[in-house]
Amino acid sequence: MTYGHQLTFGVLLDPDAARPGDGVLLDPDAARAGDSVERARLAEELGYDVVAIAEDPDGLDAWTLLSWVAARTGRVQLAAHTSVPPRDPAMLARSAAALDLLSAGRVDLTLTTGERAEAKGEAEAIEIIRGVLDADDPRPLTYRGEHYRIPRMQRGPLPAHRIPIQISGYAHSLLQIAGRTADGWVAELAVLGPDGVAAANKVIDEAARAAGRDPAEIRRTLIIDPGVSTDDLLPLIVEEGAGTLLVRSTDPTVLRRFVKDAIPALREAVGKTAGTVPGRSAAVRAKRRAGIDYDRVPASLAETAVEPGDVEYARVRNTYLRGGAPGLVLRPRTTAEVVDALGFVRAHPGVPFGLRSAGHGISGRSTNDGGIVVSVAALNGIEVLDEAKRLVRIGPGARWGDVAAALAPYGWALSSGDYGGVGVGGLATAGGVGWLAREHGLTIDHLRAVEMVLADGTVVRASADEHADLFWAVRGAGANFGVVTSFDFEVDEVGDVGFAQFVVGAEDPAALLVAWGQAIEAAPRDVSGQLILGPRRPGQPSFAQVMAVVDADQPDTIIDRLQPLAAVGPLYDQNVVLLPYAGIMANAAEGYHRAQGDPVARSGLIEHLTPEFAAAAARMLASGAVHWFQIRTVGGAVSDVPADATAYAHRSANFSVVAMGSDPRRVDAVWRDLYGYFDGMYLSFETDRSPDRLTDAFPPATLARLRELKRRYDPHHLLRDNFTIDPRGGQR
Amino acid sequence: MTDYGHDLQFGAFITPTAQPAHQAVELAVVADRAGLDLATFQDHPYQPRFHDTWTLLSYAAARTERIHLSGNVLNLPLRPPAPLARSLASLDVLSGGRVELGIGAGGFWDPIVAMGGRRLSPGESVAALEEGIEVIRQVWAVDRPGPVQVRGEYYQVVGAKRGPAPAHDINIWVGAYKPRMLALVGRAADGVLPSLGYLPGGAEDLAGINRHIDEAAGAAGRDPRAVRRLLNIGGRFAPTGRAFLDGPAEQWAEDLAGLALEYGVSAFILAADDAPTIERFAAEVAPATRQLVAEERTY
Repeated sequence: MTYGHQLTFGVLLDPDAARPGDGVLLDPDAARAGDSVERARLAEELGYDVVAIAEDPDGLDAWTLLSWVAARTGRVQLAAHTSVPPRDPAMLARSAAALDLLSAGRVDLTLTTGERAEAKGEAEAIEIIRGVLDADDPRPLTYRGEHYRIPRMQRGPLPAHRIPIQISGYAHSLLQIAGRTADGWVAELAVLGPDGVAAANKVIDEAARAAGRDPAEIRRTLIIDPGVSTDDLLPLIVEEGAGTLLVRSTDPTVLRRFVKDAIPALREAVGKTAGTVPGRSAAVRAKRRAGIDYDRVPASLAETAVEPGDVEYARVRNTYLRGGAPGLVLRPRTTAEVVDALGFVRAHPGVPFGLRSAGHGISGRSTNDGGIVVSVAALNGIEVLDEAKRLVRIGPGARWGDVAAALAPYGWALSSGDYGGVGVGGLATAGGVGWLAREHGLTIDHLRAVEMVLADGTVVRASADEHADLFWAVRGAGANFGVVTSFDFEVDEVGDVGFAQFVVGAEDPAALLVAWGQAIEAAPRDVSGQLILGPRRPGQPSFAQVMAVVDADQPDTIIDRLQPLAAVGPLYDQNVVLLPYAGIMANAAEGYHRAQGDPVARSGLIEHLTPEFAAAAARMLASGAVHWFQIRTVGGAVSDVPADATAYAHRSANFSVVAMGSDPRRVDAVWRDLYGYFDGMYLSFETDRSPDRLTDAFPPATLARLRELKRRYDPHHLLRDNFTIDPRGGQR
Repeated sequence: MTDYGHDLQFGAFITPTAQPAHQAVELAVVADRAGLDLATFQDHPYQPRFHDTWTLLSYAAARTERIHLSGNVLNLPLRPPAPLARSLASLDVLSGGRVELGIGAGGFWDPIVAMGGRRLSPGESVAALEEGIEVIRQVWAVDRPGPVQVRGEYYQVVGAKRGPAPAHDINIWVGAYKPRMLALVGRAADGVLPSLGYLPGGAEDLAGINRHIDEAAGAAGRDPRAVRRLLNIGGRFAPTGRAFLDGPAEQWAEDLAGLALEYGVSAFILAADDAPTIERFAAEVAPATRQLVAEERTY
């Protein structure tokens, strides 16, 4: 029988075998060190899957050597054959996580017992290692075992992949551990013989079943001497289920011969019985959510899909602003895979569905509880299509900081929000209010064509000439109509820009707002920016943060433009720098999203910051219900585009206003007083999902047209995560 | 004026952040290419935001060519000395003699204990470090007869095989501030490695540090020049001078030359997590400081 594992081959760089008989040895350690590294590189070059390094009491430290080898190889799996003790399980886990991150997920651990025959603490060590690596669990790790005690340590870091932990040995106690909890079992063929392997497998399988596990969860690895014939190896694979063979040799000739003769013959002989991707363990499957047909995930997506029990889950469950617990995250890498993903979503009509580019969305949830998330993060290409026309093609999963960095060498920029961590897909289907908005318009105003997958799986190209109706809709309400898989933009020539950050006194926030609004409206279009206010804190001075970008590279011009902005209130601090646009966008936090909770954001678009509006805003700030109040500049080139040219229709506004809080009732109670001053809103900054908000986001004519298009392109209402337009809804 | 006459070294003190995974390695590569002498990483094994420092050092050593690497400083309470000695020797062999041992007695006991380590009083931790250094030196001393024999209060390593032999004499630099630890440095270490930011009296405290070390060295029959004085520093480059190590590179050089000539500091390790700062430290500050000190020393 086999256990269904993909057959892999490795090299065990065994210190005993490494004791070279050839060559002149001046410094045995140094020679052997170089030898091991060279053999590891050779093994990778020859196509071996695994390089295993065993502890050598007389030689180099195995972990140090493995770390070195990791840095000098790029593909091969790195197997540490090591013992606890002397290694401490918690420290070993930290080390394994580090090397796994550095080597992009190539580490696996095999616990050996050295001279000791019986198990002693290995089961506890496995629990501790797994506990440390489970960084998704926010609780500290506490462990009270017979061999180890950990009072209360922080878990993590999260490794790059699920690090397999295998057990090596022959004693019943070790086989039991292998069956009960380990991811694999490693044994030497020469010690056990084929009959011994069969007997050990039986013990492991029984222990696995007794623990409620499928014996196939445990990969069987045999260490073989190079002399063993293919005929002897074949039954070990097809009958005893060996999934990995580790050749114990450091002789290049032997390593080459095994690759040339044995591996192809073995692969061919077992081709029909082995070679599938191993399924998820019972422990992982136990965390699956109801209503999702996990076994029907399309083959093209299975390898990259993430479900709650996976290590990768911690990296994909939350977004920048929200905690989430989706039941499945599909991560297509191509348009065809997006088609497959939407097919899977269509087969789950009652299950929540979120679409994510980089997970920065406020209106678009892009995570959920128990539903499906399709993340297009892997569709992150940035490609110049036509240098003369400044035409670039960008994938929805790219982040704007990366886009800015990629365009900078050409002297180009695409105004696109103010934070480098925002993804292209969400912003470029909604609007895009950026640092150059007044001069160069919205991000969508630079869009020339998209490729998108519609709800029914059709792939279309939309532009002014093809599917012009969709092209209109995708610029402002794109999330309702499909998954854009690439955007063609015409970008601008932008040199260095002036970037100013002022701290101004806000004792009288209403006066400040009016003064700032007037200064902005009076400024030439090469000035865009924003103003941020927090709640008033009793007894403390009040400040506002004023930021501005001046698209000019002459310091005199920049200073000239900034003077009126610096004069809107008492200036407490200032910082003005001349830098490339990409330098402003290089502000994204690193690492995966760890947000918790659910924010409340309200958006409004407004033409002028009148004294009446400013007074209402000041009252709102004084209430304490809002902890973040931000006004961005639009107008200018944004207003040059006719209101009916795109689904983003509120073109007359000069300002985009956002308030954020945490309690929707408290926020709405104070937001109500501002609401009357607005002429619509920018949907990207709004969290309210009530259908009324649709009429704020889209004027009647726009909404009517969108609803008609929604009926045509998404009649079954598949796309409903971000300002959804119900195709069955009435004409508002 | 105290000057022990050491050649000047310049290094980077790089945060071993686990995210992005390669940031620390890439900065070590930058430091290597820029011509710095040392790339160092702090070691807080209880802090999961950081890479395991030993794994990072090993990986970074394999990605660099010339620069020496060290923990700054390795945490002895969570890194038992015999395996640590073997790891150091192994990396020294692999890297062609580019590893040094910055080590500390442990300072943050709560998280050390929370991870399963043993809480020691300040005095105990000094004694433990002295034993640890003894174990490490015995493991490295492959030419001495018999196995490792340390029957200490904190570490008992009896009968362990010596080796592997390091490729060069690995320096042992101790993070030390207080008299007992400084006395240990004077007796048994190759260098002292404090952080300027932790000196309550600023650079002037270095005089007291030197005095304790020199007295202990003398009492142990060692030449004070056997102990290198290293220093972790922080600063920022600015167009005009505002304060100590806050100004243009030329001012930095004068500030550092002052420390070298006044207090005998001969290794400056700059806390920096960005490539331009590391490159500027190497290209502008290091040569100018060396020149100033050389000019002064010729008088």
